[in-house]
Amino acid sequence: MNDLIKELYQEIILDHGQSPRNFGECNPHNKSADGHNPLCGDNLKLTFYINNEDVIEDIKFTGEGCAISLASASLMTEKLKGKKIDVAEEIFSDFTNLVSGSSEDLKVLNEEDSLYALKGVGGFPMRVKCATMAWHAFKSALKS
Amino acid sequence: MLDIKKIREDFPILNKKILNNKNLIYLDTAASAQKPKVVIDEINSFYSNNYANVSRGVHTLSVESTFKYEDARKKVQKFINADSEREIIFTKSATEGINLIANSFASKYINEGDEIILTVMEHHSNIIPWFLIRDRYKCKILFANIDSNGNIDQKHFESLISEKTKLVSITHLSNVFGTIVNQEIIKLCNKEDIPILLDGCQSAAHIPIDVKDLGCDYYVFSGHKLYAPTGVGVFYGKENLIEELPPYQGGGGMIADVSIDGATFTDLPAKFEAGTPPLVEAYGLGVAIDYVNELGMSEISEHEFRLTNYALDKMQELDFVDIHGANKNKHSIISFNIKNVHSHEVSSFLDVEGIAIRAGHHCCQPLMKHLSLNSTARLSFGMYNTEDEVDIFINALKKCRDFFTK
Ligand SMILES: Cc1ncc(COP(=O)(O)O)c(C=O)c1O
Repeated sequence: MNDLIKELYQEIILDHGQSPRNFGECNPHNKSADGHNPLCGDNLKLTFYINNEDVIEDIKFTGEGCAISLASASLMTEKLKGKKIDVAEEIFSDFTNLVSGSSEDLKVLNEEDSLYALKGVGGFPMRVKCATMAWHAFKSALKS
Repeated sequence: MLDIKKIREDFPILNKKILNNKNLIYLDTAASAQKPKVVIDEINSFYSNNYANVSRGVHTLSVESTFKYEDARKKVQKFINADSEREIIFTKSATEGINLIANSFASKYINEGDEIILTVMEHHSNIIPWFLIRDRYKCKILFANIDSNGNIDQKHFESLISEKTKLVSITHLSNVFGTIVNQEIIKLCNKEDIPILLDGCQSAAHIPIDVKDLGCDYYVFSGHKLYAPTGVGVFYGKENLIEELPPYQGGGGMIADVSIDGATFTDLPAKFEAGTPPLVEAYGLGVAIDYVNELGMSEISEHEFRLTNYALDKMQELDFVDIHGANKNKHSIISFNIKNVHSHEVSSFLDVEGIAIRAGHHCCQPLMKHLSLNSTARLSFGMYNTEDEVDIFINALKKCRDFFTK
């Protein structure tokens, strides 16, 4: 089997792609947004609850998509749960850098992070949108 | 019989190595065809030796350019067996052709409450232009159903026809199923005197086209799917019909006379070709048509049909593959899914094996919704594909299934 594929589809990605965590709708929630990948029709709905200390208390998603988009959404919810918004925003920009191939100057993410498993997406430019769909939904929900 | 080995030597890109030094297996011709060397070289030669704007100046280069451009029009006319060159309008694409007829036709004939019939398997480029018309003229867009084989449900189609029907616009060869429209559908429109537009994007590249035999009133296709450059398409309309239609866009080249009070428009085909046309691309289309004609469109078509059936037979043996609309009325295009594996995974996996296929909704979201699918994988053939390539593809499908469902 070939290395590029193994790098793209690490065990953890296949696992989260097949059985995504935090799948469902957050109840109650005070933020939500839809994500779409118009190239392929994949979509998701993200809901989360931010408490009065600016902490993401709970975060969930539903939707349909490829292993990369589901795994990315699943790992994102795991990572962001319990984080303060400003930290979450740093993670957002680190993650988008990571998957678009600029992993040098990450601020908060490191190689120990499960999200690092998505680095291989950088080798498949057309798949970057799959990996970032949930993250962009998160960003736009924050603005809403 | 075509000499495929020899044909492959005409396409420089087929020597390309992909990712890990794998030979390219290009199974995405339905998205766009690769270009033979003669087309690439002739474009280069046009720019190097003959180029100037068309129908503008009287100098030598302008004459040469104009001659080459108009010669391409003649080639297209013969290629689809139209009656006259006046019926051949160069556009930038099939998409622009559909927008052209949608806008021109609607501005003359569409009123509130009128109906236009499409099918649920249309490409977005044969849906969205009509939605825009609907919003502007308050007409209705009706969608004919399809059966499980990917053919139009004739009963349903008939039931949609009424005195309100102003136009029918349907794909001639489905870019998802590879199915070819039943001639009965066209005959029915002819009998009811309803103008019919065929989206020939796929058919022009895969089967011999005779617009008169077909009985369509309008026909569009894109050059790039027919081994020609991007940036040129063809809109065909019966002369007596398009003579009556107003221009689509305004600009240079389409006027008879202009004053500060207004303008009169020139004759066909220039009336519909505002602005500097894609003249080198049109010339390239003419070269591609010559190339195809030399091999024979029927021979190319037979080769692709054989290949499609070869692949279908092999794929049907794989119990982990769902083929969409598996039947024998399939030409050059097969959409499928590997059970429990998203089409993106299939496409990325095959990419690393050197195999290019399409994954996604194929610009047919209404159809995907109709089939309750989120996306499909699609392989499609061109004249240069071989049975050996199909065998490698089948083998890669097995490896892909093993990798993702182990
Ligand atoms: C059936 C069909 N119609 C229309 C189009 C649009 O062609 P273009 O983008 O070249 O205008 C395509 C191309 O994918 C097609 O397959």
